[in-house]
Amino acid sequence: MEDKLIEVNFGPQHPSTHGVLRIKVRLDGEYIVDAYPVIGYLHRNAEKLAEMGYYPKAMIYVDRLDYVASLNGELGYVLSAEKLMDIQVPERAQWIRMMLVELNRVASHLIWFGTHGLDMGMLTPFFYCFRERERILRIFDEVTGSRLLYNYFAIGGVYSDVTPKAIEMIREFTGNFVTKLEEIEGIFKKNYIYVKRTTGVGKLSLEDALSYGVTGPMLRASGKSWDLRKNQPYLFYKDINFDVPTRPEGDVYARFLVRLEEMKQSIKIVEQILTKLPEGDFYNKKYAKPMLIRLKANGESYVPTESPKGEFGIYLVGDGSTMPYRFRIRSPSFANLSATPVMLKGYKIADLTATVSSMDPVFGEVDR
Amino acid sequence: MIPIESEGTSKDGTRTVYVAKENILAFMKERKDEGFDVLLMITGIDYKDHLEVVYHLLSTTNGNRLVVKTKTDEEVDSMTGLWAGANWHERETWDLVGIKFKGHPNLKRLLLAEGWVGHPLRKDYPLDKKQFVNLGEDGEDRVSFDPREGY
Repeated sequence: MEDKLIEVNFGPQHPSTHGVLRIKVRLDGEYIVDAYPVIGYLHRNAEKLAEMGYYPKAMIYVDRLDYVASLNGELGYVLSAEKLMDIQVPERAQWIRMMLVELNRVASHLIWFGTHGLDMGMLTPFFYCFRERERILRIFDEVTGSRLLYNYFAIGGVYSDVTPKAIEMIREFTGNFVTKLEEIEGIFKKNYIYVKRTTGVGKLSLEDALSYGVTGPMLRASGKSWDLRKNQPYLFYKDINFDVPTRPEGDVYARFLVRLEEMKQSIKIVEQILTKLPEGDFYNKKYAKPMLIRLKANGESYVPTESPKGEFGIYLVGDGSTMPYRFRIRSPSFANLSATPVMLKGYKIADLTATVSSMDPVFGEVDR
Repeated sequence: MIPIESEGTSKDGTRTVYVAKENILAFMKERKDEGFDVLLMITGIDYKDHLEVVYHLLSTTNGNRLVVKTKTDEEVDSMTGLWAGANWHERETWDLVGIKFKGHPNLKRLLLAEGWVGHPLRKDYPLDKKQFVNLGEDGEDRVSFDPREGY
């Protein structure tokens, strides 16, 4: 039997790997017997780079981890650093952070939707999703000055205030996004081929998910209602009403439904923030920009946040100097991807692209 | 009950405990039975005179978090038998910090190429020595200090 197995090399230059993932798959006919993911093709050692600079300098490396949701990464870092240095942040800055992070979550999920559609053989949703994402990027351009890598959150606040024009743009976006999303939703849900190809494929049981440290939408699609915004709220999430979508199936279609509902919830959160956004300072005056490089820290801290992919946080260890002694990144994509072999075993080779793309891996974050 | 050496609280308010290296596997098994079902990450820290391994645990049933630390000199027991997710984290820690995990099923480098010289997150890692990687005929990576033999 052993000699009948064929070894196929999938990636690293395959369009549906969302970057540079390589999987060595062993096949028995069309069925996957064993899968062995190989990563590291985008490795830059961001941890070492961050340990070589001042605390605020690490921000640009954090930006480049999950590059489709940079603000979520920045949030994980600033919260951890502020805890480490005991820095107070004005309320307005925290509400601004929450609002932009939720918009970034929608942008990230839209990218996933578009590329997942491409992987499943649909070209249309890609254009629809990028059309909507473009509107979010215009908002970010207005608020932060950049479209992809923002470097906008600072230790002690944010770099600039949200202008009335930006608020107007956000209002306009949240006003009609859900109807636009329903257009995209229809392309997937009413497509018989898509539903057939994803239902019951790439199953991940709750037990395996927890054992592999899988978090985020993937864990919620496996039947566990675990969202840090709800279970261990940071910023002002406890003042906001939203639901945590959960599905019990644990297959690709369940992950699709969870992410779809999450986008609607994010819009709901942004709408509530717009009504509650307080006036005031947007940064702590004690920590104006030139002061930042003199920040020193002792001790250690790890503040978990809910990024679009799962639990993201940075474990900082300070030694009393102006540079972090240890800068450890907990990246959700890395843990999620390590569960690949369980999700692929026993399915057909044609299901591989569906499963891999349903994990939403971003390789800046996996390889770091 | 496995004894702990000392305990404290980190800046974010999480309980932190030090456990002797010999007891770490038994201690973690106890914690798993207690309800800590997720191993979030494994961190290796190079303190110049000794190495330290840090485990972040999470319980999704009651939301408790715990940080477990152990001092080591190169080798520590593997957690792959308790949490499957420990596999990649341990490979990464071996790769970048150079801590060996006893009982790991496949302790190979994860992010860097097999055959890489040194462990980058060690504080004495030479940053000026460039290494070049090339893919060999057999599909495995080759590492060389000669720029003509890789990229």
